Amino acid sequence: MNRLKLPMLGFTALVLAVGMISCGPKEDPIVELPPAEEGFIEINGGGATFPNMVFVNLRKEEQLAVGRKKWDLAFHTGSDFKVLINGTTGALAYETTSSDINTVGEALAAPLRTSGELELTFTNLRSILYADNAQNPLSNPVIKPVSATDGENKVYILNRGSSGTEARPWKKIRLLRKDGKYVLQHADITATTFTSVEITKNPNLNLVYFSFEEGVVSVEPEKQNWDFVWTAGTSVIPFGQAVNGTLAYFFQDLVYHNIYGGVSVVQVLESDIAYDNFTEQNIASLTLNSDNRLTIGSSWRGGGGPNSAPSIRIDRYYILKDVNGNHYKVRFLSLTKDGERGRPSFEYALVKAG
Amino acid sequence: MNRIDLNKIKNWIFLLAFLFSANPVFASEEVKGLVVDQKGRPVPFASVIFSDGKGTVADAEGAFTFESQPQNQNIKISALGFETVDYSINQKDGVIRIEMKEAVSELSEVVVTGNFGMETVKNSVYQVRSIDKLTIQNRAANNIQEVLNTELGIRFSQDNALGTSNLEMMGMSGQNVKILLDGVPIVGRQGVSNEVNINQIDINTIEKIEIIEGPMSVVYGADALAGVINIITKNPKQRSGYSIQTRLQEETVGQSYSPMAGAGNHIRNVSGTYTFEKPWKIGGGFTQNRFGGWKGNHSGRQFEWLPRDQDMGNFFVGTSVKGFDIDYALDILSETISSFGPENRLEVIDRNFITTRWMHRLNGKWDWTPTFKLSWQGAYTDYRRETETWVTNVRTNETNLSAAPGSQAGIAYQGFTWRMIGQWLLSPKLSLQPGIDINTERGSGERISENEGIQDYAAFLTGEWSPSDRIKIRPGIRKAYNSAYQAPPVIPSLNTKFVLSPVLDLRLSYARGFRAPSIRELYFDFFDASHSIMGNPNLRAETSHSFNGSLNFQQEENQGGFFKKTVLSGFYNDVSDKISFGIDPADPRITTLFNLDSYRTAGLMLNQSFIHHNFSGEIGISRIGRYNMLSAEQTTIPEMLFTTEINTTLTYLISVIETHVNLFYKWTGALPGFEMATDGNGNQVPREIRLEGFHWMDLTFRKQLGDNLSINFGARNLLDVTTILSTSAGGSAHGGGPQRPMGYGRSYFLGLTYQLSK
Repeated sequence: MNRLKLPMLGFTALVLAVGMISCGPKEDPIVELPPAEEGFIEINGGGATFPNMVFVNLRKEEQLAVGRKKWDLAFHTGSDFKVLINGTTGALAYETTSSDINTVGEALAAPLRTSGELELTFTNLRSILYADNAQNPLSNPVIKPVSATDGENKVYILNRGSSGTEARPWKKIRLLRKDGKYVLQHADITATTFTSVEITKNPNLNLVYFSFEEGVVSVEPEKQNWDFVWTAGTSVIPFGQAVNGTLAYFFQDLVYHNIYGGVSVVQVLESDIAYDNFTEQNIASLTLNSDNRLTIGSSWRGGGGPNSAPSIRIDRYYILKDVNGNHYKVRFLSLTKDGERGRPSFEYALVKAG
Repeated sequence: MNRIDLNKIKNWIFLLAFLFSANPVFASEEVKGLVVDQKGRPVPFASVIFSDGKGTVADAEGAFTFESQPQNQNIKISALGFETVDYSINQKDGVIRIEMKEAVSELSEVVVTGNFGMETVKNSVYQVRSIDKLTIQNRAANNIQEVLNTELGIRFSQDNALGTSNLEMMGMSGQNVKILLDGVPIVGRQGVSNEVNINQIDINTIEKIEIIEGPMSVVYGADALAGVINIITKNPKQRSGYSIQTRLQEETVGQSYSPMAGAGNHIRNVSGTYTFEKPWKIGGGFTQNRFGGWKGNHSGRQFEWLPRDQDMGNFFVGTSVKGFDIDYALDILSETISSFGPENRLEVIDRNFITTRWMHRLNGKWDWTPTFKLSWQGAYTDYRRETETWVTNVRTNETNLSAAPGSQAGIAYQGFTWRMIGQWLLSPKLSLQPGIDINTERGSGERISENEGIQDYAAFLTGEWSPSDRIKIRPGIRKAYNSAYQAPPVIPSLNTKFVLSPVLDLRLSYARGFRAPSIRELYFDFFDASHSIMGNPNLRAETSHSFNGSLNFQQEENQGGFFKKTVLSGFYNDVSDKISFGIDPADPRITTLFNLDSYRTAGLMLNQSFIHHNFSGEIGISRIGRYNMLSAEQTTIPEMLFTTEINTTLTYLISVIETHVNLFYKWTGALPGFEMATDGNGNQVPREIRLEGFHWMDLTFRKQLGDNLSINFGARNLLDVTTILSTSAGGSAHGGGPQRPMGYGRSYFLGLTYQLSK
């Protein structure tokens, strides 16, 4: 993936760049190769246990694999103060009524432990209450936006998630604001003291990622330099018996496009326009979106069931517009590599250069 | 047959007293006799009945004596298991030797399940439904499912992902139905006698099928809460000679067919037996079933009903020396089910499920003394099921075995059974059957955690007591030790039969049943990113109280060859400690199994059969109730949910052209149920759901062409059933969806059978 650091590129530079794009790529002052005309990528998902999340940059035909459990919390770099939990490990968070982290301990966690309410399992019918919104997590994160008034910021009990990874001890966290930065108080659930960390917003990124063990870690590339991420993660299925009729469910082979970086996507059915026939002229009829990261989601594959094997859906493909205004058509080819899940492949072609 | 007409106990006492006093004064008037079978062995306790209805009874060595009187010059001798003999005494010197023929000629009227050796349907204390060879022939069936699918109380469900079918009986799942081959449990994908795929048995080897409702736990042990299906295989005939049979059948699968191979259903069988002058008999056979699969709604590579190749062989050798019979039988199954994966743009993945089963059986019988006989049934089964996964790259056309973890998987079971039963005739009214039953099972393979196997050792004792010839009482008790789970302490049973009138019999029974946790329930672990399911090695057996009753009205052939029989039967089962999935309290992420629930079933069945000249038929109706598990928490919904079934079989012989016309029909009523759903206000409320009912009809013709050749043709699934609708919302992430597969549409068949024997 794009490992080039562009340290000078700040928020103003982004506005500038977007302005340039409208004038055509030839006038772009940033040294960038012309976008890839077409490509074929075998995603390095790590195999059948889906250990990685893989960020893909189409115009550079690059991918970056990062371990799903490398991070625990993600801090929004926008003007608001929002924090996400790691849905790619099935993490869940529970808001306590306390605003003193030291008063929260195993006594409060025990009922959640024994009832299984804070575990992402297919038998927990209440899990949806403790997960970030699957389509657009920043629109409705389980951790309430951090208030400027400290007293309003409650302590959360955090299950770091054990979906497709080993279980780790629960944490307690509390988030505060200080001088335009985040302050994270965290400790093991049984601890009587806590650690306090300041997290600075980095406008080159959509989110700043934090690990309890390693502090701030590098997970996603700069926000202009990836188009979608393939991962396993928490999504939802309609299920009558679950709270709100929705069951949080851990999916493999999810594809989120970079909605916070300005990438937009729409699904096209072969029956409407065949992939091979899709040209620049067809773009106008489509409405691309950048507010639902599940637009590709799991729709590109059939999950399989009692009477069918998992398979890619050959009746559809996707049109993706990257931050440079390049339009690509993307179709998934395989769920497997040599029969092994967790190694999907796709191909794409440039429809219209930005 | 055993129609002892002595119903006055005082006569018995008098005669027995007379026998033992043997007054020498009348020695010159005394008639002495000996009752023997065809092999010259004594027949114990035969009844000797005079023309005035009085009589005597032979002793354990077959000997009898009585005082010669004018009224007892013509005697009738009868004994259990033998044809009745009429005899006129016209000589006074010497001992009369009466040879009795074993009454096994009309096999369809004899049942073996639960009995020592053969017993007539009418005399057995068990209510047995049996499906005879003629019915199997008339159906021209390819597998047992096609024979049982119009039986009351039996329904099949297809697992089309694996290409197998599951059977449900009397409102209970296949785990509660014990499938036996000549009394020996069969091993399947889930272990010994557990959800056995009944179609993995060669239909061409079957003499008949016996169905007994209710747990026969005392003799057969675990896993028969709903009942027992005992498949009886053909045996070479007793007298010397040979027999050869070949069968060739071609069938469409719905609309799809290609001759002899590929699409359609192709069956070939050849078998033969040879009985030597003395003392050996041998037999063997080979069957090929080629099921080409059915595409259904799939247009591409996939099949809705997976193609299946079966090769089945069997071999038999037996010998009989001086009351000692022993035979060895080997049944081999090799099955490949092919699951073609869906179209993919780059890689297509196909799987083969390959099953091999070797079942060795050693059956024997020893007539130790005229009053004590011993029989045993032993079996060792080696069952393996392999999953092969093949990957084909569509762009390069390369095909390789998949390298993905778990893609080349296998599972293996070894099952051993040894059951030995003694039959001890204590008196004409009392016999005891002690026995032992040893069952061991080992399972290993993908996802089954390390285990020591299951060893089960049991001893049992049943006795049959007839205080009068109108009453039979058969209590039984079984005591078992099991290495893997806590076996129920003592399993009792009580079967009774009352002759209310010469045409009316009443049977009442109680039994305690139990279902052992299977190897999978104990040791099967499944973990992936979204599932954590574990077996529970601490499970106990499910137990049940089971009550069965039946009333049989049977009119002998009287008014112009009109024969009719009516059977009304009912059952009630109360199961506790039912094994169900639950959340592990120690670790709520893990789903495992517990002895959680209770369950009940109840039902009534009425069956009417008749034979009149060339016309015979049967019509039945059943109403079976299943406990609604949700009613434990939701008091507003009914506790029992009932389903109606109606079936009929009609056979007419058109004598002019020697053709049997057979119609088989069953209506399976809707299966109601309840599930929890969210109402408009977000509350959890019970919602009624149902699995649609359906009609099934087969029409077949069988015509004899000369002495040796017969031709079968007809249509199966005449009403073109494919799927039935379920209104369930799914219930789980992998819910089967609203359409449940039932059939592959109307199919036509044509078959030839050639038989030669001497």
